[in-house]
Amino acid sequence: MSKFSIEQKNNGSTEVFYLKGFLDAHTAPELESAIAGAIAAGQHRLVVNFNDLEYISSAGLGVFMVFIEEVRATGGDIKLTAMKQKVYTVFDLLGFPMLFDITEKEEEALAKFSA
Amino acid sequence: MSKTASFIHERLTASGDTTELERIRQFVQDKAREFGFSEPGIHKIALAVDEACSNLIRHSYHLDHAREFFVDISPQDDDALVIEILDNGTSFDPLTVPAPDLKQYAAQHRKGGFGVHIIRMVMDAVEYFPAETSERGNSPQMNRLRLVKKLN
Repeated sequence: MSKFSIEQKNNGSTEVFYLKGFLDAHTAPELESAIAGAIAAGQHRLVVNFNDLEYISSAGLGVFMVFIEEVRATGGDIKLTAMKQKVYTVFDLLGFPMLFDITEKEEEALAKFSA
Repeated sequence: MSKTASFIHERLTASGDTTELERIRQFVQDKAREFGFSEPGIHKIALAVDEACSNLIRHSYHLDHAREFFVDISPQDDDALVIEILDNGTSFDPLTVPAPDLKQYAAQHRKGGFGVHIIRMVMDAVEYFPAETSERGNSPQMNRLRLVKKLN
């Protein structure tokens, strides 16, 4: 029933999450457990690729708020990338670009970690 | 642009379950498109209604899918859409919620409290009528959140 899915790819020191579909109050817990799982496994360099995400509500944004301080405290980060305009609008409305590193392309996000 | 709406008033009955959000968004999107809104306007309306219903389902109905609420949509003066969300939970005026402080929220690992802020930013008017003051003819009194979005 839920039109949301996550694919994860680990490329050495960075865990990349590929989000697809619709991220709302119903599907946000799925993302929250995926990110919690990666952090529990010792990953603190996270990239979230929004290329195939069609929709996000504040419940989705809240997931990143939960973990951002925790990963930064250990020298990591959650970098957000490849958002469609519609999705970026929601992040922008709440001032997230001030707090989060949002890049146009995944390569830029990955490069920032290795820099 | 003035347009004669092809619908007068429509109601969606939904239950206290987050699986309903998709159906609710679809309902208001279809009506907004029919009314003549362009994609950014349609998105804003769906987002605001989603945020309001998410809060209601989680914080007022506590995910109790046996409880129902209504999403009413109707044109106003050919140039605006009015969406009303009617519930019979405990009255809670979302307009009393302060704007979120992002840095403070991050420090506190807070994931909620953004919805109301989004609603206020994307809609042209937001009003709340608690059940005791909400007149709805012969139907039982319900809390009413009234959202207005102008076509232009």
